[in-house]
Amino acid sequence: MTGVRRLTWQVLVDRRAALTRLAGWSVAESLPALLSGYLTARAVDDGFLAGRFGTGLAWLAGLAVAIAVGAWGTGRVYRSLGAVVEPFRDDLTTRLVRSTLVGAGYPGSRSDSTAVARLTHQVEVVRDTFGGLLMVVRGFLFAAGAALLGLLALAPVVAALVAGPLLAGLVVFGTALPAMVRHQRDLVVAGEEFARSAGAALAAHRDVVAARAGERIVGQVGRRVAAQATAERTVSRMAALRSLSLGVGGWSPVAVLLLAAPWLVRQGVTAGAVLGALIYVSTGLRPALHALVHGVGGGGLRYVVTLDRLLGAAQVTPPPARTPQVAPPAVAPQVAPPAVAAPAGQPVGGGPGTGTVGRPAVRLRGLTFRYGNRARAVLDRFDLDLAEGDHLAVVGPSGAGKSTLAALMAGLLQPEQGTVRLTGVPTAGASPTVLARLRVLVPQEAYVFTASLADNLRYLHPEADERTLLAALDVVGGGPLAARLGGLSARITPGGLSAGERQVIAATRAYLSPARLVLLDEATCHLDPATEAQVERAFADRPGALVVVAHRISSALRARRVLVFDGDRPVTGTHDELLTRSATYRELAGYWDRDIPVPERHRPAPATPLP
Amino acid sequence: METMVRRNPSQRLRGDQRLRGDRLLRETVWYGGAWSVALAAVALIGAAAMLVFPVVLGRAVDAALTGGTAWWTIAACALVGILVVTDAATNLASGHQTARATATLRYRLLRHLFTLSPRDAGRYPVGDLVGRLAGQAADAGQIGTAAVLGLVALLPPVGSIVALLLLEPVLGLTMIAGTALLALLMRTFVADASQVTAEYQRVQGDIAGRLVEALTGARTIAAAATAPREVTRVLAPLPELAGHGRRSWDLLAGAAARTAAVAPLLHLSVVAVGGYALTAGWLTPGQLVAAVQYAALGAGLGAVLATLNRLVRCRAGAHRIAMVLDEPGVRHGSAPLPPGGGALRLHGVTVQASDGRPVLHDVDLAVPAGATVAVVGESGSGKSTLAAVAGRLQDPDAGEVLLDGVPLRRLSPSALRRAVGYAFERPVLVGETLHDVIGLGLPDDQATVPVDGRPASPPVLRAARDAAVDGYVERLPEGYRTPLADAPLSGGEAQRLGLARALSAERLLILDDATSSLDTATAHRIGQAVVERSGGRTRLVVTHRAATAASADLVAWLHAGRLRALAPHRRLWSDPAYRAMFLPVEGGR
Repeated sequence: MTGVRRLTWQVLVDRRAALTRLAGWSVAESLPALLSGYLTARAVDDGFLAGRFGTGLAWLAGLAVAIAVGAWGTGRVYRSLGAVVEPFRDDLTTRLVRSTLVGAGYPGSRSDSTAVARLTHQVEVVRDTFGGLLMVVRGFLFAAGAALLGLLALAPVVAALVAGPLLAGLVVFGTALPAMVRHQRDLVVAGEEFARSAGAALAAHRDVVAARAGERIVGQVGRRVAAQATAERTVSRMAALRSLSLGVGGWSPVAVLLLAAPWLVRQGVTAGAVLGALIYVSTGLRPALHALVHGVGGGGLRYVVTLDRLLGAAQVTPPPARTPQVAPPAVAPQVAPPAVAAPAGQPVGGGPGTGTVGRPAVRLRGLTFRYGNRARAVLDRFDLDLAEGDHLAVVGPSGAGKSTLAALMAGLLQPEQGTVRLTGVPTAGASPTVLARLRVLVPQEAYVFTASLADNLRYLHPEADERTLLAALDVVGGGPLAARLGGLSARITPGGLSAGERQVIAATRAYLSPARLVLLDEATCHLDPATEAQVERAFADRPGALVVVAHRISSALRARRVLVFDGDRPVTGTHDELLTRSATYRELAGYWDRDIPVPERHRPAPATPLP
Repeated sequence: METMVRRNPSQRLRGDQRLRGDRLLRETVWYGGAWSVALAAVALIGAAAMLVFPVVLGRAVDAALTGGTAWWTIAACALVGILVVTDAATNLASGHQTARATATLRYRLLRHLFTLSPRDAGRYPVGDLVGRLAGQAADAGQIGTAAVLGLVALLPPVGSIVALLLLEPVLGLTMIAGTALLALLMRTFVADASQVTAEYQRVQGDIAGRLVEALTGARTIAAAATAPREVTRVLAPLPELAGHGRRSWDLLAGAAARTAAVAPLLHLSVVAVGGYALTAGWLTPGQLVAAVQYAALGAGLGAVLATLNRLVRCRAGAHRIAMVLDEPGVRHGSAPLPPGGGALRLHGVTVQASDGRPVLHDVDLAVPAGATVAVVGESGSGKSTLAAVAGRLQDPDAGEVLLDGVPLRRLSPSALRRAVGYAFERPVLVGETLHDVIGLGLPDDQATVPVDGRPASPPVLRAARDAAVDGYVERLPEGYRTPLADAPLSGGEAQRLGLARALSAERLLILDDATSSLDTATAHRIGQAVVERSGGRTRLVVTHRAATAASADLVAWLHAGRLRALAPHRRLWSDPAYRAMFLPVEGGR
């Protein structure tokens, strides 16, 4: 909650000028509240009771003018409110987007599907309730202040009689407020828990019915129903407390005034003054307090609770190292993309690597990794050298750790023990920007954003000219796609492309990257085998080293070397060597149908075409 | 032949539905129990006190001014006390009443949903059902409160206009005319605001869309260290959003200024007319006080209109819940499992789609106990429906399915649970931990994580091993206790967990394309485990793979909803049409 308090205070301090204007207009707005009782009192005493209707009417006309001025002030108040509220919304949106994107995509970070709901729903709740809260608190201060001033002008004793109970009511309300916030938050949490558990249960309806586990699941979700009902009952007790504070602060002044009236009359307070005092209390103070109590107890609580949750969610979890902006590559791309397509009839498979000269592109030493203390190790003291120009395929049954290895090589994941060096640079401690210059990782889910095709392709190499882009498209096999889309300047949307087309764009983009090490993590799984082969050949011919997390056995056949996750122990060798050395590889190579669907990296999509 | 005409939710008779919805509303009022009665009582007392208060206040003022009796003052103070107490009690009672009615409604809907067949429930998207459970049940649950408070809230404003008319007819007429004017002015605002709101929401949707795009590329962005650039791209429309936001405040400003002028002026006009009456001697000062109070009460008519709006929402919510409650649930018998080893018999089974098109037509199939039957056919030939009917995931529209000689309809739910296990191509996993996921179909004591130190209960451990998913689970941070939400799952891993869940069935295993995402090596291993440990279980395996069909005892070949052949794979293989089904996958072997 301290975060909420601090941020709210910060917002108010930052918008001092706008708040000052707001206060100025509020003075105009509270003019009727200040004058209503007094002018009515004068109208009654000097006019109506004295038999001079015209005089009374004139006093009331004065009040009508005050009302007109007040209404004008009200309009200006709302207009100045925007100047405080809209920048606050901008600030929240920016925080939320930043926290969602910075740190997302690292292995182990949960994909935050609720971020969008927060962006559209919770930020709006905060915006509306913040505006509302500002209105009621400000409205109360000015209206109550004006009414008390008016009472003071009418009869100072009466003002004192009214102020006491009003303060008492405010104290009661203020004391109960922290508990109200707590219970309101419990209610929101209970509601979310219920919706989440009901959603999970209903999504699995077929499976639950098939396992005849309906009763158990209904029982589990039912506990959430009961928890929410309990939270609702608690909140209704708080609402009752709120009414009591309103009773003390808003209603008891009426009783006090009535009880004191005979005495006041004896002190020389006129009939009009008594009537005016009642007007101040019943049309000024009580409605203002009512608005305050309901506004703070309703929207105000929602404001605090929603903003608190929003700030909790918007805590930026820093990735290994943060740099403000990705710098354009300092050196000109060492990779001049070959202008001609790879020669056909590229040797497939092949003997042991011979071209291991120079600094190794990848050097893994004593690499150990597990997903938690009690888990079995995915890698255990693993060593590997990958020379410049090498081409490694990683194969193994689903879930063996292929993507984990790719993430470790890319420096997105840090090992428990051991080191990863890319052309001699240790990934531990290297900033994401430095890593991005050393290697490019292409994941299975290709990233395409709404912009021109050229913008999408230039993502990792902003200076590439059109000729370079077209040449790269040609080599990777994206020429026909670019033609179909309408050239480099065509605006593309991810939804308008098939999964395969997105992968072609992502592959071309990676091809253009200045990084020398390329990691394809099932990056071609949605391509047909022929296109996949072209993509892999293009990367194999590109200067630097290539690692392919394979999705089809054909990828292994094209590679110079193969790494297979055999049980708990990865084994490296050529295709032929592994056929004799690894039972798992034999099994994979023997059974692996070319067209068997992909072991997907995400939850099942609603439907896929049958093979 | 008994044929059920299935109706689409949207095709139902509307009048019929409204009637059922209204009946549900009446029932919901009673779900509130004693709280409903208490609420009505306190609300009525409060309204009556509110209506009487101005008159008593006026008398008390007159008495104070003229030195009259103190009784009116005491009565007014007592009324203040009553008003405060009844207001608090109304809040308390309405909260309890609503909480109770809503919870009861939710339980009822939830229980009903899990008696529906997946086919009937599947017509509603999950999000829609969650909306009904969370949102519309809450709307409908308010009916008791909304009806009582709505009716009672009418009393003070209507009563105050009557009181004004009685006090002085001109005052009453002034009030009526002013209220009409106020309502008219409020109406114009709604139309104005919707345009700006729509623009605002459009830009907001644009930002959300950009964020969704960036999130799908999260791994690429992380690897390329381009998050700051993406933040800028996502937030590019923000200034436009702020512009629309300011415009909405400006519009609100206009409406608020009008309201701020009209309502007090209405009040003022009552005072002016009352002042004339005071001058003329028609009213006492105290009566003017009463008139001013009644004018304030009368202005509350707008709030009453808001409660009408609430009633409309309650009713709409109830209708949408009644619609789902109307779906007929599956009725189970009470028969225990007869002795036997899982002999399955389909007799004249016919299933129709919602549009009347036949999905399965007069299928007869006899599977001996302990045998494996592969179900093959082109997509749309009825394979999955056959699988659904065979274990009573769905009832046939005509015909009968018997397990060891007993119709499935007569078996008790617990008998069905013990006997039949299902695994699907795309299993949806449910449970807090992976242990719960695998134990879904097990009795309670074996389904949850053991309280002693063991990693998992023996049946769960065995099922995980048989489904070759034990290695995966053991590599996770907390093994079987890993929360489902924290377990990164590929399609193949999800399939193996789904298989493990089904393997506890004693007599009949129905695998609906349940190994399609596994590499062939793993699928083969699982197949071995299932066969070796099946201990005589009958297996019905929907498949696209020739290897699976070849290893089955029999192949049921479906074509356009009919059983085209039932024979061993090698006998069917000579038929080119049969071979054609497998060619795209395993051609040349």
